[in-house]
Amino acid sequence: MTQPQPSATAIFYRNLRWLRFVDRFGRKGQQAVEYVGGLAQLVGQTVTGVFTRPFYSSELLRQMDELGVKSVSITGITALFTGMVLALQSAYSLEAFGGKAFIGRVVSLSLVRELGPVLTALMVGGRVGSGITAEIGSMTVTEQVDALRAMAISPIRRLVVPRVLATVIMMPVLTAIADLLGILGGLLIAVVELNMTPQDYITSIWQQLSISDIFSGLGKTVFFGLEIAAIGCYNGLQAQGGAASVGQATTRTVVLASICVLISDFFLTKLFLAI
Amino acid sequence: MSTASSTASRPAPDPGGGTPAPNPRGETIVEFREVWKSYSGRDVLAGVNLKIRRGEVLCVLGPSGTGKSVTLRHINGLTQPDNGDVLVFGESVVGLSEEELSPVRRRTAMLFQGGALFDSMNVEENVGFPVAQHTDKTPEEVAAIVAEKLTMVGLPGIQRKLPSELSGGMRKRVALARSIALDPEIILYDEPTTGLDPLSSEKIAQLIVDINVRLQTTSVVVTHDIVAARTVADRLAFLQQGRFQFIGTFDEAARGGHPVLMEYFRSMGFPCGTGVFSAVSDAPKGT
Repeated sequence: MTQPQPSATAIFYRNLRWLRFVDRFGRKGQQAVEYVGGLAQLVGQTVTGVFTRPFYSSELLRQMDELGVKSVSITGITALFTGMVLALQSAYSLEAFGGKAFIGRVVSLSLVRELGPVLTALMVGGRVGSGITAEIGSMTVTEQVDALRAMAISPIRRLVVPRVLATVIMMPVLTAIADLLGILGGLLIAVVELNMTPQDYITSIWQQLSISDIFSGLGKTVFFGLEIAAIGCYNGLQAQGGAASVGQATTRTVVLASICVLISDFFLTKLFLAI
Repeated sequence: MSTASSTASRPAPDPGGGTPAPNPRGETIVEFREVWKSYSGRDVLAGVNLKIRRGEVLCVLGPSGTGKSVTLRHINGLTQPDNGDVLVFGESVVGLSEEELSPVRRRTAMLFQGGALFDSMNVEENVGFPVAQHTDKTPEEVAAIVAEKLTMVGLPGIQRKLPSELSGGMRKRVALARSIALDPEIILYDEPTTGLDPLSSEKIAQLIVDINVRLQTTSVVVTHDIVAARTVADRLAFLQQGRFQFIGTFDEAARGGHPVLMEYFRSMGFPCGTGVFSAVSDAPKGT
C-alpha cells in the first residue's frame, strides 16, 4: 500500500517551527548588524567632534569630575582588595616551592598587565556606562535631546563628545591609581600576614616590572574607555518611550560594555604583546 | 475657508495649498507640498499641503495620533518626510544634514509638550543656553536677556530655581522664555496647554498671543484644546486621516465649516450651535 503524498500545506506547517526560528534568527542578526553600524557611526561622529569646533571644555571638565574623579573610590577599593587577595593566594601557592619572595612580582605583574585595567574597566562600565545611558536616555525620552537639535546644537558634540573624551582621558588615570592601590594592598598583606619586609616586597617588584608592562596595561584602558562611553551614549540616544525603556537601555549598557571589555582585552593583549 | 473630502486616498485634493488666506498678513513662510510620512506601514501624513503666512498664528487641531506633532516637527527638520517637500523661509529643509539645518533652526524655536528643560541646569542657564551658544554676548548681557524674557512670561526673579522646583505651568513658561531667547521668526508650539489646569492654560494661551504680537513672530500651535485655540488662532487647520480636512478661521469652523470638524468639536465638549459653543466662538481672539 502506498503512503499518500503530504500536501504542500502540510509540509509548510510541519516546517513552520523551523521557519520561525530562521526568521527570528535573521531578525536578531539584522538588529545586531544595525546596532554595530549605528555604534560605529556614532564613534566616527564623535572622533570628528573631538577635532572640530565648537568645543565644550567646561562640560568636558564637569564630566571628567563626574565620570572620573567620582569613580576613584569604587575602582580604588576594588583594586586594593584584589591586591590583598592576590598576595594571600600567591603566598598560599608559592610557599610550597619556597617562592614567597616572588609575591611582589606576581601581585604587581598581575595587576599592572591585566587585573588593574580589566577590573577598573568593569567597575567603570557598571558605574559610568550605566550612568551615561540613564542620563542621556532620560534626556531622550523627555525630548531634551530634540530640544538641543531644535536649538541647532548638536547632541553629539554637546552630550557624547565630552563624555567619551572624559572617559578616555580618565580611564588610564583611574587604572594607574588602581594599580598603585592594588600593589599597596599586596604590600599590606605581605608585611602583616606573611612577615615580609616592605623592602623585600618592593625589590621584588622593581626586579620584574618594566615600563612596557605599565604602558601595555594603561594603553588598553584607552580603548576600554572608548567602548564603555560610546556604548553608554548610543544606548541612551536609542531609548524610546518612557522609564522602562531607559531601564532596559541601562541594563543593556552594563552587559554589553562588560562583554566588550572582556573580548577586546584578549585582542588588545595580543596586540600589545606583539608590539 | 475651504473643506476637503474626508478620505485619505492619494488623488483627493487637499485644501491647504490653494486656500485663500482669511487674514493675509504676509508672505508664505512655511509651505508643505504633498508631504507623506508613514510609521510602521501606516500613513500618518498622506500628501499634506499647507501654507503658513508670516505673522499669523495657525492652530493645528485633530484627534490624538493623527500626526499633528509630526507635522510640526517637519518644519524644523526634526522629522524628515518620506515624500514631498517642506519649504521654510523659501528653502527646502528636506534631506538636509543636521549642520545644514542649523541656519533654519536658529531662526525657529520649538516649545515641547513637557517643556524639555535641561534638568542639570537652573532656570537662568536654561533660558540663557541658546543665547550663550549662538552669540558672543558676555555673561552679563546673557543674564539681562534672561531677566527680560522671564519678565515677559511673567516669571521674574526665578533664575536660581531648578526645573524640578517648578510647577507644570511654570516649566512651560520657562520653556517659552527659552524659546524666545533668540527672538525667533517662527515659534512651534507642541501641545502648549496639555496637562495644565484651565487657569494655567489660559495664561499660556494669552502669552502665545502676546509674544506673537510683541515679537512679530509666526506661530504654529499644535493642540486639541479648543478654548486655547480660540484664544490664539488666526486660522485653524484640522488634520485627520493624514490630510488637512479644513483650513480656515475659528468663526468659519463654528458656522459649520466641515462635518468632521463639527463632530470633533462635539466630541471635545463643544456642541455646535449651542450657547456654550457660541460663547466660545463669539469671544474675540486674545481675550
